[in-house]
Amino acid sequence: MKILRINMSEDAPEVKFEDLGQYEGLGGRALTSAIISKEVDPLCHPLSADNKLVIACGLLGGSAAAMSGRTSVGCKSPLTGGIKEANSGGQAGQVLGRLGIAAIVLEGKPKGDDTYKIYINKNGVKVEKDNSLKMLPNYDLIEKMKKEFGEKIACVSIGPAGEMKMSGASVALTDMELRPTRHAGRGGVGAVMGSKGVKVIVLDDTETTPRQPKNVEAFKEANKKFVAGLQKHPVTGQGLPAYGTNVLTNIINEVGAYPTYNFKEGRFAGARKISGEVEAELEKQRGGNPTHGCHRGCVIRCSGIYHDKDGHYLTKQPEYETVWALGGNCGVDDIDKIAMMDFLCDNYGVDTIEMGATIAVAMEAGLLKWGDADAAINLLHEVGKGTHLGRIIGNGAAFTGKAFGVERVPVVKGQALPAYDPRAVQGIGVTYATSPMGADHTAGYSIALNVLKTGGFVDPLKPEGQVELSRNLQIATAFVDSTGMCLFIAFALLDQPETNQALLDMLNAFYGWNMTDKDVVEYGKKVLKFERDFNLRAGFTKEHDRLPRFFYKEPLPPHNTVFQVKDEELDQLFNW
Amino acid sequence: MKVVVKLFGGIKSEKDFPRNEEKDLIVETEKPLTIYELIDFLSLNKKPFIVVLNGVILTNLSIQIKDGDEISLFPPIAGG
Repeated sequence: MKILRINMSEDAPEVKFEDLGQYEGLGGRALTSAIISKEVDPLCHPLSADNKLVIACGLLGGSAAAMSGRTSVGCKSPLTGGIKEANSGGQAGQVLGRLGIAAIVLEGKPKGDDTYKIYINKNGVKVEKDNSLKMLPNYDLIEKMKKEFGEKIACVSIGPAGEMKMSGASVALTDMELRPTRHAGRGGVGAVMGSKGVKVIVLDDTETTPRQPKNVEAFKEANKKFVAGLQKHPVTGQGLPAYGTNVLTNIINEVGAYPTYNFKEGRFAGARKISGEVEAELEKQRGGNPTHGCHRGCVIRCSGIYHDKDGHYLTKQPEYETVWALGGNCGVDDIDKIAMMDFLCDNYGVDTIEMGATIAVAMEAGLLKWGDADAAINLLHEVGKGTHLGRIIGNGAAFTGKAFGVERVPVVKGQALPAYDPRAVQGIGVTYATSPMGADHTAGYSIALNVLKTGGFVDPLKPEGQVELSRNLQIATAFVDSTGMCLFIAFALLDQPETNQALLDMLNAFYGWNMTDKDVVEYGKKVLKFERDFNLRAGFTKEHDRLPRFFYKEPLPPHNTVFQVKDEELDQLFNW
Repeated sequence: MKVVVKLFGGIKSEKDFPRNEEKDLIVETEKPLTIYELIDFLSLNKKPFIVVLNGVILTNLSIQIKDGDEISLFPPIAGG
């Protein structure tokens, strides 16, 4: 595997392949965070030539391992000012691996304002100016790429929001149907791609073969056990395929942890109308599909295809986070309008979580009324057009809160909180506060044990045990994010030791390693150390590892609890 | 004794109970039941995995229901 570096500062962008060298043994998040931590000045401006954008497949990317298609996108974040890794499904990770590329590193910055496209296949790399692509939304852009390069490609792209360098901009990755539906959403990674002048990277793995393990038979055997373990577990084998991630709406609402009206209440009266059960039924009725994988080799298939009332494709099945952010958090209970907003976010290239949180802040400011879905849709169009208002919204919740003088702004390190209120699920509050990524539910998904009773149970309403829970999950997640595996495998790994062992056996057979559970912990810690070290050098202190103060002061109905984990306890998270 | 039972994630009762506006089951019993007994009484198509009583996740199903309680039942589910 090689690292492909493309320096955009040169008149003719410079392309070179390098051995992994000091990055040997790293993949996915470990690789992006190591490169950013070692090579990027933590004090640089995120949109400057000194920042880098790293797009990496996981350790098992491009292999026959099931679930191994995640792609990590890393940089210094324009949203948080700290290190960022946002990962996504879609086809790019597998294709990168088959092309023998562990990571693409975009460096430097073009002098002019030309727009570039990059085409990579087994024969090499072509970087071309193409100003006809300027300001194209993602769906139109991909249609153009299909006409030019055929349909056996995978694309990594940005929409107009990335080109306008908005801090809420995402990097889009195409799915199996070559639609730009999967997004490395968080932290404004799309703005960094935009600052490099790169609109799209087209990956073509024609005439390539899967990466081969060192021990073929042991790898096959471990992969078989791993898949059987995922299919056997009731969550990964039944719950997620049937209803998708949005099956969470009802349970999170019932336990009073569903942030509603910009984190004012823990229950939303319209929750059932926008639940996963309703979504799945509509998808069946309208000729969509409630069970669909986002990349080749996915056996969980938690995604789906959402059609509009007339039976035409509208978007992929909106995820739980998206439905919450643009739905309940804004008081919107119309699933079709939420699906339209999901499409618009994908098309303009913005993070659905950040946009939903931002629209709720705008509602708090009185800019639009609670529950006014049409006004929210208009606001997203403003983002896509880049009007003055749209540029404020597109820069996220913290920026919008400042622009309109809003006090209650739910962000940590400048990044919006996702779909679980930390007052009713104290463990996720610890992760939001302390993750080097800013508020991020995926960094240490305490909901698994606090609510879903997977891998054990820790009372969500009490502060006891939450720091240890978050610490263990943050370490384990940093490892999973490095393998290229979808984080949802964790539900089966937590409950089934043999499935956990099968993953290790697969890695060991692939690389000729002898990794044990202890090594997994050390690997995860190493990744977090890269990230913490970068943030410390960027000026972050322990005071940045805190939730906004209203979570400590305003009791959340119906349980009327506040966030109770003490600051001194939060400071112990990385003391391992 | 009257309680409201909410069924999610494909859980269904094989009995015919009165329902409220949200289509939740309104379950009346002559004597107080434990949650275990209530689940048994409901004749469900699958065993609930997560049980929520008045917004609180239960780990002990031997506690008794009270008049006016709300019980929400879920199969094993997750997301993110």
